[in-house]
Amino acid sequence: MKKIIGKVTEEEKREIQSLFERRNGLNELAKVLTADNAELYEKLVTDMGETGTRFQAWWDRMAQKYNWESADGGNWEINFTTCDIYLVTND
Amino acid sequence: MIKYIIIQLSDNAVSYCHYVATATAEPRTIPIEMLHKGITWAMKENATVQFVYPAHRLPDEYHAIIESIDHAKIVPARCDDEQLENVADVVVFDDYAAMEGYNFRSTAAYVLRTTRDELFKNHQAITGALGSVQRFNVVITDIDSFTDDDLATYAHILDSLADKVTEQYAAGNAMQFNLLTDRIMLDSMNNCNAGWETIALAPDGRFYPCPAFYLDGDEDYCLGDINSGIHIKNPQLYRLDHAPICRSCDAWQCRRCTWLNRRLTLDVNTPGRQQCVVAHTERNASRRLLARLKAAGQFPGKEIKEITYLDPFEIIKQ
Amino acid sequence: MELLDNLNIKETDRGWQTGIAKSITFIVTKDCQLACKYCYLVGKNEKERMSWETAKAAIDYILDHERDEVFNTESVIFDFIGGEPFLEIELIDRICDYLKVEMFRRGHHWFNSYRFSFSTNGINYDSQQVQRFIKKNIEHLSIGITIDGTRRKHDLNRVWKHHAGEAERGSYDDVVRNIPLWLAQFPNGSTKVTISSADIPYICESVLHLYSLGIKEVNINCVFEDVWHEGDDVLLEQQLTQLADAIIDGGYYSEYVCSFFSENIGKPLDPVNDNQNWCGAGRMLSIDAAGNFYPCTRFAQYSLRSKRAWFIGNVRDGIDKNRLRPFLTLDRLTQSPQQCIDCEVASGCAWCQGENYDAADTPTVFQRATAICKMHKARVRANNYYWNKLFRKLELEGTRSEYEENKPTVKSETC
Repeated sequence: MKKIIGKVTEEEKREIQSLFERRNGLNELAKVLTADNAELYEKLVTDMGETGTRFQAWWDRMAQKYNWESADGGNWEINFTTCDIYLVTND
Repeated sequence: MIKYIIIQLSDNAVSYCHYVATATAEPRTIPIEMLHKGITWAMKENATVQFVYPAHRLPDEYHAIIESIDHAKIVPARCDDEQLENVADVVVFDDYAAMEGYNFRSTAAYVLRTTRDELFKNHQAITGALGSVQRFNVVITDIDSFTDDDLATYAHILDSLADKVTEQYAAGNAMQFNLLTDRIMLDSMNNCNAGWETIALAPDGRFYPCPAFYLDGDEDYCLGDINSGIHIKNPQLYRLDHAPICRSCDAWQCRRCTWLNRRLTLDVNTPGRQQCVVAHTERNASRRLLARLKAAGQFPGKEIKEITYLDPFEIIKQ
Repeated sequence: MELLDNLNIKETDRGWQTGIAKSITFIVTKDCQLACKYCYLVGKNEKERMSWETAKAAIDYILDHERDEVFNTESVIFDFIGGEPFLEIELIDRICDYLKVEMFRRGHHWFNSYRFSFSTNGINYDSQQVQRFIKKNIEHLSIGITIDGTRRKHDLNRVWKHHAGEAERGSYDDVVRNIPLWLAQFPNGSTKVTISSADIPYICESVLHLYSLGIKEVNINCVFEDVWHEGDDVLLEQQLTQLADAIIDGGYYSEYVCSFFSENIGKPLDPVNDNQNWCGAGRMLSIDAAGNFYPCTRFAQYSLRSKRAWFIGNVRDGIDKNRLRPFLTLDRLTQSPQQCIDCEVASGCAWCQGENYDAADTPTVFQRATAICKMHKARVRANNYYWNKLFRKLELEGTRSEYEENKPTVKSETC
């Protein structure tokens, strides 16, 4: 089941979208870069860690700010077009 | 509506504008029957005629036909027929040396064609001429070579030429200098208007917006011929209202050269950046000159506004 | 709580970053397996294939100019076009890998916002190389397969290359077998259908056929070229009216879209507020095998019937910005004839700047081609019918609000 539980601002959406894009970019770059390219590989690994942290921090910050409803085993999702936040549960 | 016709008497007819009139070993002179037809056409259309002469002497029989219509003569400063210079309406200099010691007449207008580098080096020679003429035009033949770094130098040169103009006005000589006084005297755009108000009849008997298109051999811009008449395709593109950059511009003295437009941007109605920034440098120099002339009691009520751009394209983009 | 952010990346991709993405097109080859009869590429050939050196030089130039106004958009779409782009999958793979590495290495802002986009004939979609490429780049891909509809409609135009005297062979079977795989990988995949005169009788059946294949978004348009015959507008109106009935009576409207029907078309346009150009030429960049730059692929010589290519530079000398000025100052009124300015049903009437240039009386982009006029008017009449009929039905059923909230949308139309 999926229901709308909130909305973020356009600016907040842009922030998470940019992090989302970067994370995807890093993941796909990881398929190309090998440890042979030590300097860039190191940079990639560091960036993946940092981006993941910033990504999590956004959700934590927003959840606290908007006090979103949650559920055991549920997920939050964002629609980049509408800025809506959904609660997705298995029932 | 066509108001002016430029009849180019020969392939080697002098250039009085941005384009280069390349000398050819066997230049084609306009056939006499075409000249005759061109004049007849002008009479029927009430078009003012300008004949553009080559440096070499034309056959005698041409003169009588030319004189059969009221007209203006555009001639090179150095031509075989010295008499021609004495009756010319416009005399064209292709270099600074030819101006030295030249006997300027008050009844003629003078054109100096110069490259950017020559202008930067020899502009003092223009100062001398400005004191001797009623009308002086400077045409920069390689405007496309201007870089943004050149503009400060150009503005400085214009200001120094403005000193001479100010001096002339103070002495009661209200002379005209295209780069500085045209913008002051105009109330709206006054451009070349090739293909709109002006058309050229070339030695091949065909019409072009101006001689430059003929000399380029640009068939796309042949506008008909003297036998079948003028057929201008996309005539609106020569008009100001169909030139998105120019119609919102107030560098009214700009030639708005369609040939340069075509060369730089590939479209006749769109100027390249260089043409715009050079024209605006002149506009702004005119503004500074106007302030000086107004302080001396000249041009009361005239105003040129301060603007923050040199290329109106930037404003349109915004 | 598990956090998901990829609700539906392809939904997010609808008109991805419209207006803020620079489109950069690599013309990787001018070859194609097919010889479609309506193809505007008059100069296709097997020789002009982009070399890696040229592609790399182009990428280096583009990324070197990150802060230049031509390249400082927030996002970028790297588009690969042919001929058939997947014929050069090896080169494309190398280009994409290099782009990813270089954007990351340089800290280029596009690393956070890029896509690789393809429009393919779908023939070698299932090849090992193409599939490997897709899996490697899946989060950044937008792939459209062109299928024109039913077998008879598709095979009418989309035929294999053949020598004179050889029998024509349609490509329907070779494409349709890959549709399930494509839709499995891109569930919101859309297709682009091109209509010329001979295709009109098959429009209704073709759109319905594409729906039946699982393609929920059908972008369809009449070609801009002057190919229309007397009575084609009447036929088009009939076909679209039939299609309207089929979509509404069959209930497709709640999930499927066909770009022929849009609520916003067929209205007069305001001369001041609706004066923008339709086409994005000049804001895009297209690069050919020789390393030449164009304002759009349609200005490359192989796309032009009667005009010279409109170069705007090359990988060695860079972009000549003067040659972009006509495109960046184009507005609707300046390029339109009076009949278009006064038109009561002007909205939605599209144009292609390249076709305008190719069809113009002089070498200009300021003369709008009007060959499509009567077809647009026919479309508007059928479109009015569609919305009037649909809204009446929804109102009688009391489901209008529900429809408005959930209606499927079509990507913004581009040429």
